[in-house]
Amino acid sequence: MNDGNAFIRCSKLTKVYHKGDQEIVPLRDLDLEIERGSFVSLMGPSGSGKTTLLNLIAGIDSVTSGSLWIGDNNLAAMSRNQLAAWRAHEVGIIFQSYNLVPVLTAYENVELPLLLHSMTRRERAQRVEAALATVLLSDRADHFPRQLSGGQEQRVAIARAIVAEPPLLLADEPTGDLDRESATMVLDLLSELNRVHGRTIVMVTHDPAAAHRAQIALHLDKGQLLRATSAGGAH
Amino acid sequence: MIFWRVAALSLRMLSRNRLRGALAVLGIAVATFLLSAERAVHRGVSEATNASQGDTRLIVYRANRFCPFTSKIPERYVDDLLKIEGVKSAIPMQINVSNCRASLDVVVFRGVRAVDAKAVLAHRLRVLDGSFDAFLSRGNGALVGSALAARRGLKVGDNFTSAGVSVTVGGIVESDGPQDRNACYVQLPFLQSAMGGVQGGDVTQFEVEVHDATRIHEVARAIDAHFAPDRAPTSTRPEKAFVARAAEDLVAIAAFAGWLGIGALIAVFALVANAIVLSLESRTREIAILQSVGFHGGLVAWSVVVESLALALAGSILGASAAYFTLFFGQFGLGAEGVSVEFQSSISISLLSIVAACVVGILAGFVPALSAARRSIVEGMRGA
Repeated sequence: MNDGNAFIRCSKLTKVYHKGDQEIVPLRDLDLEIERGSFVSLMGPSGSGKTTLLNLIAGIDSVTSGSLWIGDNNLAAMSRNQLAAWRAHEVGIIFQSYNLVPVLTAYENVELPLLLHSMTRRERAQRVEAALATVLLSDRADHFPRQLSGGQEQRVAIARAIVAEPPLLLADEPTGDLDRESATMVLDLLSELNRVHGRTIVMVTHDPAAAHRAQIALHLDKGQLLRATSAGGAH
Repeated sequence: MIFWRVAALSLRMLSRNRLRGALAVLGIAVATFLLSAERAVHRGVSEATNASQGDTRLIVYRANRFCPFTSKIPERYVDDLLKIEGVKSAIPMQINVSNCRASLDVVVFRGVRAVDAKAVLAHRLRVLDGSFDAFLSRGNGALVGSALAARRGLKVGDNFTSAGVSVTVGGIVESDGPQDRNACYVQLPFLQSAMGGVQGGDVTQFEVEVHDATRIHEVARAIDAHFAPDRAPTSTRPEKAFVARAAEDLVAIAAFAGWLGIGALIAVFALVANAIVLSLESRTREIAILQSVGFHGGLVAWSVVVESLALALAGSILGASAAYFTLFFGQFGLGAEGVSVEFQSSISISLLSIVAACVVGILAGFVPALSAARRSIVEGMRGA
């Protein structure tokens, strides 16, 4: 049970990979707490463990040792199927490379998480239309990813992440492949989701301007938390 | 409900990768065509050669002869045959074939007396077009079996020549027996004359009906015993045993064709497995995306199995339908030594082929499905 006030709490969190005979430890005994409703950026040089941490918080990678609580769920103790069910309801993930399914339209991509929820087709349609409206892409619902710009693809990915209304949004370099204008639009959206809708957001970024949108910047290096700074994002 | 939604999603994604699916479907269609064709040959051989309890027909052949051109029995034996206990009717029959060896298009002429045509054949042959009278009113009139007529495109009034015999089609007839459906009945004196024989001379065989099916072997033995001392001793067998004996080569071919059927199923397995494995290799990221939004391993495996089943179902329906209509309209059959084995299309064979291909298709997708279900999401994202 997560007995603290933090929404996300890592204790002695360690992740070890094996590559042949080589042992790689991207995270070592990491202790960390993130408050509910906060907008946090994870910063650090390549190999500092920030993406690994994001993957562990997303439940798409497994913890080697330590504990990782998200709300009342200890992800370190959950099976693959339990993690999948948890992801379907509790988290939305936004990737740097958008990760849309190329053979599905924008509408169908956004609808994907809702296929796992008990709701009618009409309810799904209402949710998808609302999500697309939030990212200002209602007029692109029938477009395939190849027919969209990079910024539009990322906004579809954001719509997919929020459509099931999860309390936690995770973004891995969401503006890394975008031009300045599109990046600003995506960051505006994330800020709005945090401020207006109260979503907890954890964003990995190299970009100081993007990190500035968060309230707190957590600096990682060699798998450990170096420092936490106030980043300046308004709440 | 979730499984149905995921199945619909899987089919939608497959339908938008048409090239990948089309090639696999085409291969599966060819394999299922072969499987259906093999089953049709097998069924045709079984129907022509497998005895059943109700069989009442015997074929009286010349002993130690195995070809219609060497089997010669005096026509006058008919009177003795009718006196043997258990015999209901006996038809002397002259056989002439366009090709003695195994062939896909053999014309078998069966010369019968007019009296037998009226008394016996009229009861077992159903006239589809023309009439018995048209057949009997001309010396070279012929009743053509439905399969032969379809194969050769013959209609009432047509003239055709085969094996040096020219006839005019007086009727097209249907029958429950494959030998009748593939035969061309003509009048006995006409055929004897056309083959250089004389009226009332020798015939190739007698077709004997017995009163009681349970005594068929007893009557066969009585016939052979009766003619044993004569100048032309006989060898009498139930019709289907006679066909099996005469068409040994065809039975052997059908047995070999069974291996083709097994090969066709293996081909379906390989094609589906190959299509699915290639598909999964190219869709590593797609699967990781599905997992990242909450699809658990079972749903991923299910979507792969649905894709396998869809490929197998589409291919097998295409192949089985093509085989059905090809055999239905082509009326193919193998003939040898004057007997015929049809390649019979049927709905049951088509359904069996489709079910077999689908089962094999599901099995082929099973291992890739499990593999996809166990993939690491992080590896999948990186592997794209």
